[in-house]
Formats: sequence, structure tokens, C-alpha cells
Amino acid sequence: MTEKYVGKRMTRTEDPRLLTGQALFVDDVQIPGMLHAAFLRSDYAHARLRRIDVSAARARPGVVAVYTAEDMGDAWRHGPPLVIPPPTIQGVLFHTRTQVPLVKDKVRFAGEPLAVVIAENRYIAEDALEDIVVDLEPLGAVVDLEKALEPGAPLVHDDLDSNLAAHLVQDKGDYAAARAQADHVLRRRIVIDRGVAGAMENRGIVASWDARSRQLTIWDTTQAPIPVRNGLAGMFGLSPSQVRVIAPFVGGGFGPKIMMFYPEEMTLTWATLQLGRPIKWIEDRRENFLAMNQERIQIHDAEIALRSDGRILGVSHLFLHDTGAYDPYGLTIPLNTQSHAMGAYDIPNYHSELKVVFTNRITTSPVRGAGRPQGIFLIERLVDLAARELGLDPLEIRRRNLIKPDAFPYQHQIIDQAFAPLVFDSGNYQATLDKAAAMIGYEQFVREEQPRLRAEGKRVGIGIVSFVETTGVGPYEGARITIEPSGKVSAATGVGTQGQGHFTSFAQIIADQLGISPRDVHLVTGDTDHFHWGTGTFASRGSVVAANAIHAAALSVRQKVLKLASKLLNTPEEELELVDGVVRVADIPERSITLGELAVKANPLRGAVEPGTEPGLEATAYFGPQYGATANGAHAMIIEVDPETMMVEIKRYVAVEDCGTVLNPLILEGQVHGGIALGLGQSFYEKLAWDENGQLLNASLADYLIPSATEVPRVELGHEETRSPLNPLGSKGAGEAGAIPVPALFAQAVENALHDYDLEILEMPLSPNRLFELVHKR
Amino acid sequence: MKLEGEYLFNGPREKVWEIVRDPEVLATALPGTQSLNRVGDNEYEGTMQVRIGPVAGNFAGRLIVSDEVPPERCTLTVEGRGAPGFATGSGHVHLLEQEEGTTLLKYEGEIQIGGKLASVGQRLLDTASKSLIHQGLEALNSALQARIKAEATGTAVEYTPPTEARFAAAVARDMAREMVRALPPPQTMALIALVAAVALLIGFLLGRRKG
Repeated sequence: MTEKYVGKRMTRTEDPRLLTGQALFVDDVQIPGMLHAAFLRSDYAHARLRRIDVSAARARPGVVAVYTAEDMGDAWRHGPPLVIPPPTIQGVLFHTRTQVPLVKDKVRFAGEPLAVVIAENRYIAEDALEDIVVDLEPLGAVVDLEKALEPGAPLVHDDLDSNLAAHLVQDKGDYAAARAQADHVLRRRIVIDRGVAGAMENRGIVASWDARSRQLTIWDTTQAPIPVRNGLAGMFGLSPSQVRVIAPFVGGGFGPKIMMFYPEEMTLTWATLQLGRPIKWIEDRRENFLAMNQERIQIHDAEIALRSDGRILGVSHLFLHDTGAYDPYGLTIPLNTQSHAMGAYDIPNYHSELKVVFTNRITTSPVRGAGRPQGIFLIERLVDLAARELGLDPLEIRRRNLIKPDAFPYQHQIIDQAFAPLVFDSGNYQATLDKAAAMIGYEQFVREEQPRLRAEGKRVGIGIVSFVETTGVGPYEGARITIEPSGKVSAATGVGTQGQGHFTSFAQIIADQLGISPRDVHLVTGDTDHFHWGTGTFASRGSVVAANAIHAAALSVRQKVLKLASKLLNTPEEELELVDGVVRVADIPERSITLGELAVKANPLRGAVEPGTEPGLEATAYFGPQYGATANGAHAMIIEVDPETMMVEIKRYVAVEDCGTVLNPLILEGQVHGGIALGLGQSFYEKLAWDENGQLLNASLADYLIPSATEVPRVELGHEETRSPLNPLGSKGAGEAGAIPVPALFAQAVENALHDYDLEILEMPLSPNRLFELVHKR
Repeated sequence: MKLEGEYLFNGPREKVWEIVRDPEVLATALPGTQSLNRVGDNEYEGTMQVRIGPVAGNFAGRLIVSDEVPPERCTLTVEGRGAPGFATGSGHVHLLEQEEGTTLLKYEGEIQIGGKLASVGQRLLDTASKSLIHQGLEALNSALQARIKAEATGTAVEYTPPTEARFAAAVARDMAREMVRALPPPQTMALIALVAAVALLIGFLLGRRKG
């Protein structure tokens, strides 16, 4: 069968709705009698709650209810751990401490909710927050990761003897032995700081309990509607079938919206069950800075051991990872860091020791990249410094160490975020790197252009890095596809959508199998009443796991179509084809039946049905990969640095990606562009500033800089395609790829542009200020 | 955040001390102060309307004066909380006799800021707090002048504390001066014009709110 739509550069079918304001977002939900919630949040990062008096707030006209932790009674409990620590790693230590709906005894981060006001409108609710009298006893705050582990540091969780949340060691080969044989050993401290996801749409929830139908409906900006449904049902003693969670259009997820259960989700659900009225809460931007999960901060003490020819013998690092106040997301991020700390290279020996630290800051959980940018930054920086030490070209040292195309599947001998052995399934890393070098004109720039521009006094620099992205992990996703009597097709899958173009790319897959136009597919995502098996949108797995489930379901419907049509048309299945909404005999196209007619015949109103058959042209199928598919790529850029202001201008940006089969190149490019924008933010603009008391000092988009169109360059894109052997479509994820290599690339290019300063960039994000300090050794 | 600075009063040290330790005068010197009550020998409680950049709201606080050596020095400890966040800190105030009957007030201290004030108002905090202090001291100096004159002439000289609008405009002017200092000349004129416009606008809005 030829693939007509998969791989086609199709414009997105959902865009007309989005662009004309017709798409439903959580804040568009309006229900008669709906109330509005506002949360009172702690101004202190660490404090004991002595007393909270809400009587004045309750008395304010228009206020319907005010709740504190005490009011919740037995319903108050810690959120469930989302990801358990890996049982497959020996000697792993992990202390599970999860978030609470409302603070009962102790505040652990500034922004943690203390009480909720539910009122006729948000204005009244916010005014009533000022009526609440809270007596908090401030405690010393834990902010610095190293100080947090010192004896005598204040404890984020009083029942532990330190702020160590987890400890684990992973080894591949024998690093100590490799080090002993090395010609060169380089040791550096590398620091990556915190940032936010910065989605355009903040979080939002509408929770509505209908006492008569005994149905709970939650509209939620979550990336994981099905687990939210199952979890909330369990938490509040309902059957999952009584709970419907709808994640409508969501204005960007980028990771933190996979977190569950946020205190607001638990509190609002409980509150609507008390009041029997719908309640809406829409997060404002400041709340988003204070109370939505963040990511990135890690401190690495790292080492690389090499032979004098540039061959890497081993990498070793001890790293601290900040989990914030709680650790519901287990070890996903640092395990991803470990999985990427060897990058795209064939490194025989690896030693990694991880310490996860509790601090008085909002919890960390994956943000687009999810530990991978840290790993890639680490290895790419070490490789660059090694190249400098050995007098090798950055491109050359990479070529000498990349995993060879015939080495796949490449066994890494460590455990990945899915608790499975880390295996890179396929790829041609040399090809992507060479393509990026060719596209940016690496040799020519270094040989001719750069010397000429430098002679003119211009500080121009070039960078090129390789990276991998582990994607598409299990456990599974599913889909149900139905041919309707109209001949159109409806499909449902459990993953939510936050702008990934699912409506289009999934429809392309279905269209190819059923011989229809993708525009005749009606897809529902993220509504548990339509599909309630699945885990969610995360880890760049939509185009791998969900897409292959869609593919399997479409294939199954196709088989039903062929079977029934074969009988009706008296023709063997092999001689039939599905084209333009009809099934026809390939040789005699006029002998045909439309899909709609077939659907009607498959669901008769009278007569007998053959035993063992199912009605309708419908199928549900699931896909779970054996292990995650690993994408790869190479990015390159040319920059010019203004030595006075230290502003960096990106002259050219090249991104070459290999994510296996491309479902829709246009959507892929959008993903890569978006990822690069985030990566640039976390290289040069976005940095959360905290004081030593755990106060976030730049909780607004005026002070926390997200790159805008003027900072993001035009991206020249190239593709390589090595199909993944792990799934029928041969796809690999691409959602996070764009963000992963950018900090490493940025650092290399800046060093190159300012080569005469002998700069070593070992931290991210930078800023013009910070770069100035580094250059002038201040 | 560290706070330090100095201010020259046109009056003898004893008089300055008196005025600095008079809660009524203090309350009028800082517009937005809604109340300031003595609750102990050296302890005051009060409420104040605070406005820094986009952050505004009521602050309830407590001020403790300790280590008092009249008329030379004292230590101030403040603790305030409210919708805009919290501030706790302490500082030392010294009064030094200067030539020609003037008095130099020196202060230095450390203040911890939290909540909205810290997370949203941060970039304005430094200059805004310096300016608030400066303008407050200016107002105190005016009150001092009025008092000295009254004593000299034997008739009451009316002292009019600054209105909130006038005070806000003065703070904006201060902050602009601070910014201008950090800028290369070509932008200066444009910035001054801009800030003047903003200051006028703030004054206008505040005035309108009162009306």
C-alpha cells in the first residue's frame, strides 16, 4: 500500500478553529451557577503554620466557602507518587515525599497554597484572600543545593535526617581503570540553573459535581487526563466511570502539566463535591511562576578521560539534582540526564553518582527536555574542552567518538527513565553531523570567512554539536477508530493535545489505511468519556506510542472493511482497494461500495448476526514499545558577539534531525522551531532568580525573559531518516529535540567567537551581564 | 536587601531626635500611613498603604525602637505583613551633630522582603525604597522647619504634610534620577521626558482616586 498522506507536508486541520478563536480552552467553559476560586499562597518559603483564621473571609458578601486543610478532614492527604524509584537499580535510596492539597503544618515553598476561597466571582474571591489572617512562624530556608546537604541545615521534611531525597549510582564498564590508562583527564564543575516552562496558557481547572447524576466532570489543562480521572476517583471514593476528565485545547504543555496532582486539582475536586456547584480556577502568571513545577537545576562535578588521539575512554560525574519541596516525579529527570551524559558517543566507561536534594522551592518535574539538556550540555562541554586541550577541531573530535551506524542496537548498560536497560535502537549519527556541517558550511567558514571577518574586527563564532533524544517510552497508548454511516471516520485516543498537531498527523495515518481524506477524520483527544485507557502526552511519545496505536486500530478497521466488502462484492480481499472513501475491486473500479454503506451493513437493525462477529466497523488497539526509540540530531550556528554589550546575534542556525519516519514535515519543523526557541531562552534569557530566603525575585514576564520573535533566528532544517525498528511506523519522537542541544551549542559558539579571551563556559543560562562578568573575570 | 544612606537635617540634634521619635509626625511624613499607635514604651503598631510598581495593598506592621541613646542613636526593628507580602528587618540610625546647627542622620540596615513585593516589584524595590526613605526624611525636615519656626516666632506655623500624589511624583522623580545616572547621555532627555510623563500620570491617577 502506498502512503499517500504519512510524510506529507499538510497544513494542520485544527488551525482554522484555533486561529479564529473557536477552539475550547478551559477558561472558555461557562456553566450556569459556576463559582470561582482563589488560593491564598504562602509568602514564606519555609514556615510553620501556627494558626489560620478565615472567619472574616467567610463573612464577606459573595463568598460561598473558605476552606483550609483542617476543613478537609480525612480527605486531606498527600498526593500519590507518580513515578516510583527504579526497582532495577541496586542500592537506590529514595524518600517519597509528595505534595499536599493545602498546607496543614508546614509551608515548604513560597507559593504553596494555605487556603482556598470560593466566591461568586474571582474579584470577590481575591478580595477575600486579604481577609484571612495567617500566623506563620518563619523558618530558615534551604535554597543552595550544597548547603542543603551540610549537617545542621534546616530540614525541608522534619522526619528525615537530612535533605537528601535520593541517592543512586550507575556504572558502565570500569571508569577508574579507564582513567588510569588515560593520557588526559579533565575535571570541571558544570552548573545548569532553573527555568520555567512558560506556556502561553497557564493552568486552569473547572470542577463540577452533579449530585443528581452523581457524575464529576473536570476540565483540566493536564497532559494526562486519564491518570487524573483514575487518581481523583480513587482519592475521593468514586468509581472512575463517575469521573470524566476533559483536557480540551491546551495552550502549551511543555511538561509541567503532566504533573499530578497539583494541590489545586485535589482541592477544587474536593470543594465541588462539598458544594455541588461548578467551580473554576484559572491560574494567573504570578501563580504560574510560584506554583507550577519547574526544572533544570543541577550541579555536576564531572570528569572526562581521553587518549591523546581524542578517543574518549570514560566519563564520570557526581551530581546534585534539585527536586524542590517534594519529589512526586521520582527520578525521571536525573535518570534522563544519565541517559544523555554520554551523548551520541561510544563511551565504554561511565560512572555516575546522583544525589537528589530537597529545597524550599517549587517541585521540579520534566520541562521540555526533562534532564536531557543537562546531560547533553555536560558531555558536549567536556568534549569541547577536551578538543581544545588536545588541539583538535570540535568537529573532528566528535567524528572520532560517535557511535557507528553498525553498532545499533547500542547497549549502554545503564537503566533509563522507563527503568529499562538504556539501548539506542538505530541511527546514523555521523550522517546528521556531516549534514549539519555541510549546511552551515563549517569548513569554509572556519577556513575563509571567519579569519576575514575577524580581521575586520568582528567577533564571529561557529558552533556545532551532536545530540541524542530518548523518546517514545512505554508503557502504552490506545485508540479507537470507527467508520460512521456517513463514511466519515471518528477516532479517539487518550493522550491530550497541547499544540502538537495530533488532529492532523493522526488523521494522516488513518487516512492512509482507510483510503479517505485526513479532513474526513474527526479526532477526539483528551476526553476520558471517549477513551479511557492510556497514560498521557509526555517524553516525546505522541508520534511513537499514540501514533502506532492509531496505526494499529486503523489497520484493524481496514481488515474489517476488507472482510465485509469481500463478502458483499464477492471478491477476495487481496483484490480490493480502499480509495476515496470506497472499497472497490482493483481491476473493476465500478464494482464498489462506499465506506458509509459498509458501516450501515455492519450494524444492521434486523436479521441475524453471525456468531463471533462484532457490529460496526470499529476497532480499538493499543501499542506499547519494547523500549524507547532514540532520535538524534546535530545543530550548528554562527553568531556575532558585541564585545561592548555582550549581546549575541545569531547569524545562522542549522538544525538537522533524525526522528525516523516523519509523519508530517511541517509539524515536525514547528516542533523543532519551538524547541530551539525554548533552548535559546534557557541559554541566554531565562533564569529564575532566588534570594537566600527562597523568594523568587522575577516572577513576571517583565523580569523573566522569554525569547520573542526578535530573538529567535530563522532556522534552516535538514532531515535524515533512520526508521526505528521498534514500531511499525518506524517513528521516533521529536517534541523535545529542538530544546536539548541549544545550551551546549550556544556555549561553544560564544567561546569560539570570543576565542581570544580563553573563556570556559561551564554554566547555563547565560545573559549579557553574566557573559560580561565571565569575560572580564569578575 | 541592604539599606543605607544619610540625610542632612536643618536643625539641632535634639530637635531632630524629638521629631524622629514622634509617631504623629512620622505618620504624616510617610503618606499612605493609615495609623501608627504606640503600644508600648518603644513599640508601635500601624497600617500603611504600600505602592511599589505594580504591587499595592495594605501592610500591617510593628516597629520596635531599642538600644536607644538619645539623641544619638537607636536601633529600629520592623516587621510588616499584608497582601503585598512581608518585610522584616532592622537597622541602626545615628544622629551626628554637624556645623551650623545641622544634623546628619545616617542609617544602615538589612531588610528581608517576601511575597509580591519581592517577586514582582523586585526591580523597583531598591530605588523605590531608597526614594521612599529620602522623601520621608524630606517631609520630616519640613516638619522640623515648621516646628523650629513656630518656636522662634511663638506662633503656630502650619505644616502641611505632602499629599499622596505629591509624594508619589517625588518618588518617581527620584527613581528617574537614579536611572538617568546609569545611562549614556543621548537617551537621557528622552527618558526624563518619559519619566516626567509617568510621574504626572501617577499623580493624576492618585489624585483622581481620592476625588
